[in-house]
Amino acid sequence: MVKLDDKIDEAIQEIFRSDRPWITIVWDDPVNLMSYVTYVLMELFGFTKEKAHELMMKVHTEGKAVVSSGSREEMEHDVARLHEYGLWATLQREDQNI
Amino acid sequence: MSQEPEERQTGFRRHGDNAFVADFLAAESEVLVNLVEQIIELLGERKDHHSTDPLAAMVGITSHDSPPEDEVLLRLLPNAYADQVDASEFRRYTEATLRAKKTAHAMSMRIDLKSSPDGSVEVDHEGANAWLGAINDIRLALGVRLRVEEKSHEELEILAPDDPLRGVYAVYSWLGWLQESLILALMDQAL
Repeated sequence: MVKLDDKIDEAIQEIFRSDRPWITIVWDDPVNLMSYVTYVLMELFGFTKEKAHELMMKVHTEGKAVVSSGSREEMEHDVARLHEYGLWATLQREDQNI
Repeated sequence: MSQEPEERQTGFRRHGDNAFVADFLAAESEVLVNLVEQIIELLGERKDHHSTDPLAAMVGITSHDSPPEDEVLLRLLPNAYADQVDASEFRRYTEATLRAKKTAHAMSMRIDLKSSPDGSVEVDHEGANAWLGAINDIRLALGVRLRVEEKSHEELEILAPDDPLRGVYAVYSWLGWLQESLILALMDQAL
């Protein structure tokens, strides 16, 4: 059997995974502090400070950023936790227009 | 008990591994308790219960001038889906939990303040997260009333002295500063 490169293997698995077509989007909000958004992303998703800061900057400059993907149930859970901390978040299908 | 202004520690600071402390003046504690109680009241209201919006009342806005009370609640309890049918469905099953969680944050902050008559508050990591969530909810609510969405920072800075929103903006800004101090203290620990 052909030994697949780990990266390709991962990509192929992703294609056949039917439970990952949903995404969680965080939207820009004029009230929430940049440091707060960064901190909440670190706390809820376990992102490093650098990763959380990068996503926060994307929200700030582009108006939105995808912060997680997975099953619909998982994304509903993520959105509920983001709402608990006052971030403006929605979920939708990955292929749906934002 | 008197307190010398120059001895005053302002904002939150880290104290050891898992403690964050702040010393509030009596007037500051009072403002925070007042605000957090408004949030608790607001979150406890039923949608079909048309009472006067306590936040609007607090900032001196009459009901016929103010936007619908649901505007603040909608920001605190936003739609999870762009699609209205999906959003309603999600809300039906999760809104009560979200209200309860936000109320728990606010209650935690209220108890911390109420149990510290000298204004010295100490919280652990979990308590700090509750404070951050509660302060943020207050700022979101005040932000709706201040129309932060439409107005620039500069416009809000130059509100007339007799404009009731001027004081609200001062509180809003102070809360942002207080929140930032707690985040910095927490981030310091996380590193």
